[in-house]
Amino acid sequence: MRASFVFSEVATGLRRNVTMTVAMIITTAISLGLLGGGLLIVRLIDKMSEIYYDRVEVAVFLTEDVSTGDVACTQQPCVDLRRGLENTPGVESVVLETRDQAYARFKQIFETQPELVELARPQALPASFRVKLADPARFPVIEKEFTGRPGVLSVKDQGTFLERLFDLLNGVRNATFAIAVVQGLAAILLISNTIQLSAYTRRTEVGIMRLVGATRWYTQLPFLIEALVAGVIGAFAAIVAMVVAKYAFLDRILAAPIEANIIPRLTILDVVIVSPLLLLVAVGISAITGYVTLRMYVRL
Amino acid sequence: MIRLEQVSKVYRSSTRPALDRVSVEVDKGEFVFLIGPSGSGKSTFLRLLLREDVPTKGNVFVHDWNVAKLPRRKVPQLRQRIGCVFQDFRLLLNKTVAQNIAFALEVIGKPAHTIRKVVPEVLELVGLEGKAHRMPHELSGGEQQRVAIARAFVNRPLLLMADEPTGNLDPDTSQDIMLLLERINRTGTTVLMATHDHSIVDSMRRRVVELNLGRVIRDESRGVYGVGR
Repeated sequence: MRASFVFSEVATGLRRNVTMTVAMIITTAISLGLLGGGLLIVRLIDKMSEIYYDRVEVAVFLTEDVSTGDVACTQQPCVDLRRGLENTPGVESVVLETRDQAYARFKQIFETQPELVELARPQALPASFRVKLADPARFPVIEKEFTGRPGVLSVKDQGTFLERLFDLLNGVRNATFAIAVVQGLAAILLISNTIQLSAYTRRTEVGIMRLVGATRWYTQLPFLIEALVAGVIGAFAAIVAMVVAKYAFLDRILAAPIEANIIPRLTILDVVIVSPLLLLVAVGISAITGYVTLRMYVRL
Repeated sequence: MIRLEQVSKVYRSSTRPALDRVSVEVDKGEFVFLIGPSGSGKSTFLRLLLREDVPTKGNVFVHDWNVAKLPRRKVPQLRQRIGCVFQDFRLLLNKTVAQNIAFALEVIGKPAHTIRKVVPEVLELVGLEGKAHRMPHELSGGEQQRVAIARAFVNRPLLLMADEPTGNLDPDTSQDIMLLLERINRTGTTVLMATHDHSIVDSMRRRVVELNLGRVIRDESRGVYGVGR
């Protein structure tokens, strides 16, 4: 096999159908970029669940009189509540968060929104027991047991809020993958179409090749490589787009929540881990599409 | 060299067979004219030899190959030993004369040093030395056909098939092309030429196989185009 010959044929082919080639590259890049975005969201979700499920607690908020009257929790009903919580099976730890501590934490969380901090008064925040469960699924037991007990304002599971957040993120991920699949279909049709066009514009060459006894590989390889080259360029474009999106867009817009440790930072390492997958998908799809197209539609 | 045994070919779109129980044998080194009106089966004859089609019935042998039974992946080997020339030359218009000839060798994987050696040789054989770097559109029809013949011959085929090679050329140029084909024939290459050209067939006095409605109606060793035409 003479590589120089094959590659000069590939270059000619790509140049001749330059508009189709560009369309093929752009569609492939968009599809792969979306796929990469979806994969990055998956990584984000993984990281977030690590951070959050570690921190998930059940909060037993205390009534106003306990919050102000028994700050150190040395009187009834606070003492009983604490003991009751500590003795419930499945409870790992119970920590009292006083009104002042709650306010301090509030200030920290909303550091970047001073006007909100300005508005809030410590009096608006109840004291609470932060209860850590060995198994977060045991929440209903705690809720049933302690809701309505003297001194208890309400029992809240932070997990339900997190579930909503993760539902949202999963939804975004699924939508991204869905669009990636639709775009991917468009990319496949374009690749197929471009190869057919390419084979048509080179029908004289291909006819002569057949006639003089070129093997199937020799006739097909330039077309296959054309599709591969476009696919790989598309993949690189998608990777570059992801890097740009990370630095120019994600890091800036999400700067505050990332600083506050609410949303984990996506590092360049995440992009690097996702990239080979995109390349692999690009190579696989363009090779298979190319091969099938040549078999089905092009007489070589 | 070529042997057709009771070969019939029926195309799906037609009720009448394109070839009807045709048996022809051509020895190595022969020069054979294949004549007959349009639709008589000449093109089908050539297509079967090249394995562009397979016969509906009968056997086709070229050299050592049972063509109809040849596995797909071996078809290129057959075609590498058959040179083809057409009425419309079929040159690549964006390549020079030398590149056109080299192309036929490149695509079957011949090494570059071989190509550099044999292309000038074959250009000399067809009388086009000095025109290696011309583009096809800068050449006359006769010269273009010489390039096509050079391309067909450059890999030293066992069999050269020419389908109306003089169909687009004036009588003088046609004579030149025939002299060239004769010269190639003298190197031992079997030449099979389908033609309508009376004067050429009559003047060469070579073997003539005449087809009509898919049948061989005449096979003469030193024939003319036809009596009373």
